[in-house]
Amino acid sequence: MKTTPALVLRGLLAAAGLAVLGYGIHGLLTMERATHPLQAARWLIGGILIHDLVAVPVTAVVGLLLTRLVRAPYRAVVQGALLVSAAVALASLPLWRGYGGSPDNPTVNPLPYGRNLAIVLGAVWAGAAALIAVRAARARRRLGSAPDTS
Amino acid sequence: MRVLTRRFPHPPAFLRQGPLREGAFPSRLHDPRVAALLGIWLGITFGVCFFTGLVSHFMQHPPSWLAWPARPVWLYRVTQGLHVATGLASVPLLLAKLWTVYPRLWEWPPVRSAAHALERVTIVPLIAGALFQLATGIANIAQWYRFRFFFTVTHYWVAWITIGALLIHIAAKLAVVQANVGPGRAGRAHLTDRHSEPEPPGDGLSRRGLVVAVGTAAGVITLTTAGQFVPGLARLDLLAPRRPDLGPQRLPVNRTAAAARVLALARDPAYQLEVVGPRPFTLSLGELLAFDHHTSKLPITCVEGWAADATWHGPRLRDLLDAAGVPPDATVRVESLEARGGYRTSEVNPPHARDPLTLLATGLNGAELDLDHGYPARLIAPNRPGVLQTKWVHRVVML
Repeated sequence: MKTTPALVLRGLLAAAGLAVLGYGIHGLLTMERATHPLQAARWLIGGILIHDLVAVPVTAVVGLLLTRLVRAPYRAVVQGALLVSAAVALASLPLWRGYGGSPDNPTVNPLPYGRNLAIVLGAVWAGAAALIAVRAARARRRLGSAPDTS
Repeated sequence: MRVLTRRFPHPPAFLRQGPLREGAFPSRLHDPRVAALLGIWLGITFGVCFFTGLVSHFMQHPPSWLAWPARPVWLYRVTQGLHVATGLASVPLLLAKLWTVYPRLWEWPPVRSAAHALERVTIVPLIAGALFQLATGIANIAQWYRFRFFFTVTHYWVAWITIGALLIHIAAKLAVVQANVGPGRAGRAHLTDRHSEPEPPGDGLSRRGLVVAVGTAAGVITLTTAGQFVPGLARLDLLAPRRPDLGPQRLPVNRTAAAARVLALARDPAYQLEVVGPRPFTLSLGELLAFDHHTSKLPITCVEGWAADATWHGPRLRDLLDAAGVPPDATVRVESLEARGGYRTSEVNPPHARDPLTLLATGLNGAELDLDHGYPARLIAPNRPGVLQTKWVHRVVML
């Protein structure tokens, strides 16, 4: 392999990254009274395992089911709306599940989050339904022979 | 160099089973161009999160060479609001990105060379760190503590781990990005063997559709949460852990007087404010209320990403310091009635201590300060995290 400026740059970047990574690991291990390295490691590895061995297979199965349940031009819309719904629900998970907050402080997590999630997802699916209606109308126009049909 | 790139022998083919088989992942969304585009966006959001996180960290733990400015007033509101908002918007970006590259987890052969093995190993801290930062961040803003580690310290160190692994990842993938993104990318195709194949026909979500859906998800999350720090968006604030106008005196509270165990001390009629300097003095509650009052419009800007505007009344800190003969270049410590806790006291450096907007507030939004907001007196200074706006103040000491 020839040594080009781009290659040197990438080498320097990788070396800098390795140093930063090492600094982070060192900090995590030396501040152990606050970071509980074993606990933190369990959460770090647990996140990867849950994602790779649970979240992705579940997503794949849902995708497979959709190919059986939803017809072609509309399936993409349903997939997109499911993606948006899942992301919104995950980003606010502790809130609508009622986790967290403190009993003596009503200003933390003060809203009716179950209702609010329903409102937001309702808007998302209303948008999806509108898209489906547009696609259906377009498909009908393509099937209909001429502009004279009313 | 030669050692790193020398090809390892191929493993026996009969081991290639299950997800390791060729074509085990038929989705057309597993595509290097989409992965590169999402990667660029994630690089930006994680970069913003890291930088704004450092700002917050060094604002709370300033090194000796750094004098944090008191202006602009809105700076911390913007940096910390962005920190939480970009973190939340990263949720769909990260999950979609991981979907596009998931088959790489099962690539065959698993390791081709020493360099390839190293690159794969550094993917572990990158993905683990990224998922960890988003999950713990979301839990923390909801004050949901299922983990035993201390959030701020662990989030800080895992941030360094994640960003380090990200730099390595960028170094490893730069050629793939160059060959798949941007005008003239066809001319850079020789840089790598990872190329975006033409999109096969299909009925499901297209690559463009995926990008649109991810953008929509990030947009919906931002729109329904940013109201917790952006003025005027509070009505859309449906899924954030705070509403800037909900709380006693229309202002949220992070730590209540009951939680801080100061209920009796703060209500004690014998309360005195002690200002310790070259000419130390004490003020009774009546004298404190009679001290020359000023009004400041300043937001409470919390480390958890919310910010709320308020109008504060009370003596200027610098007037109290002048009365005690504290020189203008002195740092002071403000002490709470709390007996313990990490945020019992805070240091106020000259830029904040001498700012005309900085008050030892005794009133809020036209009324006497609520107990939960720090009655009888609290510090309120511009461009400063909420945890350092010490409440239930009874001593100001020159350092």
